[in-house]
Amino acid sequence: MAVDPKLSHTAAMILQALNAGYIYGFSVMEMTGLPSGTVYPALRRLERDELIRSHWERQSIADAEQRPARKYYRLTAAGKSTLEVSRKRYPLLERFIPAEEARSV
Amino acid sequence: MTPLAEMLLGWLRRALVGGAALLVPAGMRADWVREWQAEIWHVERSGAGARATTAFCLGAVQDAWCLWQHARGNRPRPASLHGSAGQCLLAMATVLAAAGLIAYLLPEARSATSALSAPARTGLIRIEKAGGERGGATSIPFEQFEAWSRGRQRYFDEMAFYRMSREIVLEGDSPKGGWKIAYATSNLFTLLGVPVRLENDGAAANGGMPAVIISDSMWRRAFGCDPDVVGRILRVGRREARIAGVAADRSWRLPGHVDAWVLEPEAAMAAHASGNVVAHLTSAGRAELWAGSVHITAYEPDDRELDLIGFSIGEEPASPLDLYGFALFLAFLSLPAITTVSLGEYSSSPHRPHWPRRIARWLYLGAKIALLLSIVYYVSIDLAYWRPFGGPYAADYIQMSSAFALCLGGMRWVLLDQRQRCPVCLRRVAHPAQVGLASRTFLAWNGTELVCGGGHTLLHVPGLPTSWFSTQRWLYLDASWDFLFAGGPDAG
Repeated sequence: MAVDPKLSHTAAMILQALNAGYIYGFSVMEMTGLPSGTVYPALRRLERDELIRSHWERQSIADAEQRPARKYYRLTAAGKSTLEVSRKRYPLLERFIPAEEARSV
Repeated sequence: MTPLAEMLLGWLRRALVGGAALLVPAGMRADWVREWQAEIWHVERSGAGARATTAFCLGAVQDAWCLWQHARGNRPRPASLHGSAGQCLLAMATVLAAAGLIAYLLPEARSATSALSAPARTGLIRIEKAGGERGGATSIPFEQFEAWSRGRQRYFDEMAFYRMSREIVLEGDSPKGGWKIAYATSNLFTLLGVPVRLENDGAAANGGMPAVIISDSMWRRAFGCDPDVVGRILRVGRREARIAGVAADRSWRLPGHVDAWVLEPEAAMAAHASGNVVAHLTSAGRAELWAGSVHITAYEPDDRELDLIGFSIGEEPASPLDLYGFALFLAFLSLPAITTVSLGEYSSSPHRPHWPRRIARWLYLGAKIALLLSIVYYVSIDLAYWRPFGGPYAADYIQMSSAFALCLGGMRWVLLDQRQRCPVCLRRVAHPAQVGLASRTFLAWNGTELVCGGGHTLLHVPGLPTSWFSTQRWLYLDASWDFLFAGGPDAG
């Protein structure tokens, strides 16, 4: 991975959304307004670049709510530092998806 | 939205995700499908609507496509194989295998090539009455034939009788059309050297019906190449006959086109029927043969003298292998007209590769030519006997012309390829660079420079051949060039 990777605005938005607590693909879509064909490939790339990490929800939780288990994404330490750099580059990012809107899932 | 439209969109969504999953690398597929199914489930219940959900599923295709492209980009490429002699031979062997497989799968091609293993019998004559038109309808009564075959003959050791007739053929109640039928004694095919095995001396086992052998072209036309045709009963004229086999069209070497042969014992033949007699000559008979014919005097039952003439039956029509050989001969004859046959082995310096490498280069050329000639044979057979291109009569012309064109073009490619193979590693030289200016031809050379990917050689091809630089030259690179190539000359 590059020491200081330059993220596109879209990738930075997705990172910001994940950081704000929108931790699965569809919620990122809803928050950013990006289409599924952009969000999911971007999530794969960010995971490949080790900026985010994915994990499956526990099956018992999904079973209790009678729905399929979801795949969640979280920022890694490298992802957080990259997001910090991206915020300086795209100052409106934080205003667009404020951290206060973060929700727990 | 109607329930039907919703149901159709549901199918479309499943098809999109299922189809896209095929693009995802196998190791990631299960996880990928699980994630998308879960996401779709949640989207469906979010009240997004069927159209929005379907649009969401389109993202799965893009997602899978990106994963596929990434996996493709990361796939290790065998650099040592790329552009190498092995890659070229492998590609040719693959084409050969495909062409050979197609030839095996085409029934017409298989029957034409398998006829090679059954060479035609020699020393056969067709007996006609003297003075008649050669090959025309002849009239030797069957009782005459019987008398000859009963008696001991000095010049013949085996005889068969056949007569031609046009008959309406039916299978059950379904008409098969008017066929040209040859009614023949059961030994006709044995005499002609066509391997056909029959039971009960020509009468099929069931009910003593005559056996009928149908021609290859009629089998295709009337029975659609049905492999289970043997044993079926046909009504030929007023008689019933059981299909005993299929004979290749080219196995019939006697005049006239025949759609089927009805083989019956001599006892079943009408005594008054007139037809043709085919006989096999003894060594004494062959000695009497002059310019392909022999005059015979026979005696009728009432001791009247009968002048007959026996025409030697021509050898088997040219087999696919004969045609191929002739096309090859013509192609090799024409080759110098379309390319130089030089291999361009000239070196800019006295340096020459070691002899094992020179032998490898020659072996590679030999292997390429052998593979090419085999490919040409099978591809020409495929084209000739592929049904859309015409019947058996067009096959010879198609095979001949395609074999000629393929061999000529192929040999040109073989020589061009050989001229552009590094003499050291047999890898194709690449990265062409234009060197010099055409306007300075008399001051310095101009042309194209190509380099071996392994760093062994440079190939200089003159743009305008001159008296001092008329052909391509190889420049062997020494160790001082190594820094230009990753990992040195021996690197993959």
